[in-house]
Amino acid sequence: MSASSPDSDTVSLKRKAKGKRPFYFSDSDIDKLLTMVMALAGELSVTRDRLDTVERIAASKNLFSEEDIETFELDSDALEARAARHQTLFREITRVISSEIEELDRESSSDYGQVVEMVEAEGGRN
Amino acid sequence: MSGSYVEQNHHDALPKTSHDECARQHFVRSFKEHLVASIHPGLKTAYEKRAKISFQKQHGRDPSDIKEVASVMKHDPHYQAWSSLLRTSQEMMWSAAQIPVERSLRELAKNAAKSEGGQGTLRLNGDLKIPDYHTAVDIHCQPGGYHTEYIADDVAQGAIYDRAVYLYAMGQMGPDNADMGDSTVSWLQSQHPDFKPQRILDMGCSVGHSTLPYVTGFPEAEVHGIDVGAPMLRYAHARAKSKDLEVHFSQQNAEQTDFEDESFDLVVSHILLHETSAVAIKNVIKECHRLLKPGGWMVHVETPPYEGMSPFDTFLFDWDSENNNEPFWRRSHELDLQALAQHGGFTEHAAVQVMAPSAYQETQRSMTFQGGDFGGGGVWFLYGCQK
Repeated sequence: MSASSPDSDTVSLKRKAKGKRPFYFSDSDIDKLLTMVMALAGELSVTRDRLDTVERIAASKNLFSEEDIETFELDSDALEARAARHQTLFREITRVISSEIEELDRESSSDYGQVVEMVEAEGGRN
Repeated sequence: MSGSYVEQNHHDALPKTSHDECARQHFVRSFKEHLVASIHPGLKTAYEKRAKISFQKQHGRDPSDIKEVASVMKHDPHYQAWSSLLRTSQEMMWSAAQIPVERSLRELAKNAAKSEGGQGTLRLNGDLKIPDYHTAVDIHCQPGGYHTEYIADDVAQGAIYDRAVYLYAMGQMGPDNADMGDSTVSWLQSQHPDFKPQRILDMGCSVGHSTLPYVTGFPEAEVHGIDVGAPMLRYAHARAKSKDLEVHFSQQNAEQTDFEDESFDLVVSHILLHETSAVAIKNVIKECHRLLKPGGWMVHVETPPYEGMSPFDTFLFDWDSENNNEPFWRRSHELDLQALAQHGGFTEHAAVQVMAPSAYQETQRSMTFQGGDFGGGGVWFLYGCQK
């Protein structure tokens, strides 16, 4: 809500408009996911714009040009480092898919409810 | 670069943005442009090739009103995707406009309070009741509406609104968001060249973006602006001063003001009527009549009424009613405006209902009124009457 201490520089504003938020797909989670995807697209665009600014400033100060970027050749070490970073990125993005398989692969896995029962059981083993 | 991209003009009251804050706002504008140019046209195809056929199979005829179009379109995947994205773009717009204001509100409020320039005045009324039609939901999804205040001398809602109007209109209302005011001034000057108003009132003026065109368009006139939201008016006052233009702002409800009978030559509003209620709109028109001198004009700028639109176009144009917190949108577009004027006392002349060309001509205009693109029509609907 609107609470903010008098000496704090930032002021927290209400971020949700009063009024019920409509959803459109048969499952509202799809709407939420789409909203998150657009937020990500927005942040990607912000980053790309910032890079564009860097390139334009560099070109205006004759530090390097767009041509330098387009013709820049990565050596093997750089390519390897980038490829590794890509894999980390993909692992993070697809984690929810991989973890399902990981769970399937596990030799045995207790039902979560059973685990709760187990730890809550009085007089059971520690 | 000498492109045609129109950025909002800077002025002293407008929040300063960091590089990334500004980039985030530009993304929202581009997102909205994409929805208008690339996603919205598919709705017609989806309707013709899918939704309408499904309705015909069930009923043996075409849908005949909004409800019947809705009954099939709401299940159409393209409509669902468009709606979901449009709602998201609206939320992102407010958020992107809020971020720099959250960071700099104290400074903005301080600067607004000591702004200089022009001879305008500001009169606030802390006792004014904010009408229920403003507090029930936050209109067009601006969190906090027009009236919420967070700190002393608050300008947050105005500062957010000024930027959001530009993003919402995608620059199509010009670099000062002045198109509604400019277009009305142009219409008056071309249609009624002998009309020289000496005293002008803008009702529901918000940040005064439509008010200032009357100051420059009628330099002899004394211009007043009223609104129920104090943060809007504080910001409007600072904004007018930064442009060295004289407007007298006061916090009042357009349904009942404290101005004297027959004290104005021209009373205007800009997309105010659809944000009121069935009761309030009648009061507003009545108040216009009371305030006008004989021979004076009221002119309300709105988006066009539904009459004459196809059921499909009406359904899309009506999107804001249910999806953008515009509860009076639908009813206000179906009103008998001639009867409304007469009820308000305008029995001397017939009401004027015309499409007036936009004063701000710009090549990227979509030339159609559509959900999420109300600045894009290239024309404004004017509803007016002479006393």
